[in-house]
Amino acid sequence: MTIGADLGIFVFSLAAGIIGALAGVGGGILVVPALTIVFGVDIRLAIGASIVSVIATSSGAAAAYVRDGMTDMRVGMFLELATTTGAVCGALLAAVVAPAALFILLGIVLLFSALQQVLRLGEELPPVADPSALAARLRLAGAYPDARLGRDVPYAAQRVPLGFALMAGAGVVSGLLGIGSGALKVLAMDGAMRLPMKVSSATSNFMIGVTAAASAGIYLGRGDVDPTLAAPVALGVLAGATLGARILPRLSNRTVRLVFLPVLVVIGIETLLKGLGVGL
Amino acid sequence: MTADRFRALVSGVLIVGVVSAAALISLGVVTALLVGWSGSLSGSPIGTDAATAFSAMGNNLAALRPVGFAQLGLVVLLATPVARVAASVAAFTLERDRLYAGITAIVLLVLLTSLFILH
Repeated sequence: MTIGADLGIFVFSLAAGIIGALAGVGGGILVVPALTIVFGVDIRLAIGASIVSVIATSSGAAAAYVRDGMTDMRVGMFLELATTTGAVCGALLAAVVAPAALFILLGIVLLFSALQQVLRLGEELPPVADPSALAARLRLAGAYPDARLGRDVPYAAQRVPLGFALMAGAGVVSGLLGIGSGALKVLAMDGAMRLPMKVSSATSNFMIGVTAAASAGIYLGRGDVDPTLAAPVALGVLAGATLGARILPRLSNRTVRLVFLPVLVVIGIETLLKGLGVGL
Repeated sequence: MTADRFRALVSGVLIVGVVSAAALISLGVVTALLVGWSGSLSGSPIGTDAATAFSAMGNNLAALRPVGFAQLGLVVLLATPVARVAASVAAFTLERDRLYAGITAIVLLVLLTSLFILH
């Protein structure tokens, strides 16, 4: 590959890192089509590079989000229980389940969720409520510093069992299909558990690296990670995610949702097309 | 342990992982511009293994090949989330938060198990 193409990949990865850090997704679904369509990379190596990009987004962004108190570590660790277990089940199921129907189903779920997101576009903060009994017991409540509002904003998780179940589903999906788990995580925290959008995004970022790390070893061992390709991707995404994590605290929750929504639509359409056999 | 120190510990592990990965990968890219990905900084023969062969990482590093630096950087990057979970177990334990130390330890266990089952 030429130095020009490497620079192009770096710049694209930088953008993917910024968007991923803001939206709480790994950006794999943005990186893969760009590498295959624009840069003519083999799909297998593009997917290998995308695993690297998910972990780079997660670790790069979470380093700042954890320090700044944007990530809810308890919510993250509690839900990782669901996602990691789900991911193992998904990977084991992958041998027996036909993925085409699942891609279609997931695509439809994501696009319906996008509709729900449209209805919430005007909402800056979820309604304040007491934590549910289970959330109180698990201490899934707290406050995050909102630089934009200039105060600490308290929040408390609602509907914990539903959130946990959705997260297990997100884990199964990522183990089975290898994609889309970041978007599902944001939806579970924002939609089901009613955490503020910025906390949902920052906590999703914190979690996606762990889900991806569970399968990263397979890709390395299979020879799907090409360092000459993954190097510009990793450096670009790390720089972008670091930048994105500096931007997010200053944005309103509304703006973060405005970034998340188109990403969700793109992921939904891509997933649906994949199920219908239209490869990208 | 205060909430600040707790966060500093977990965030610190992530920063160390990310910065050392970025440094190693950058070293690989810069030296690759000088001698090529499979070339050697110490005058060893040009590497014949595919860049995707991480089993050759040790040899590549011993021969100071740029591809070896990038491979090590990527391994550090991919291991960072696992290190972060391990640090979280330590942090919750130091905080005497038994419930979350337990939850996090299970996550670490599932994660490590998955690395073995799935191979």
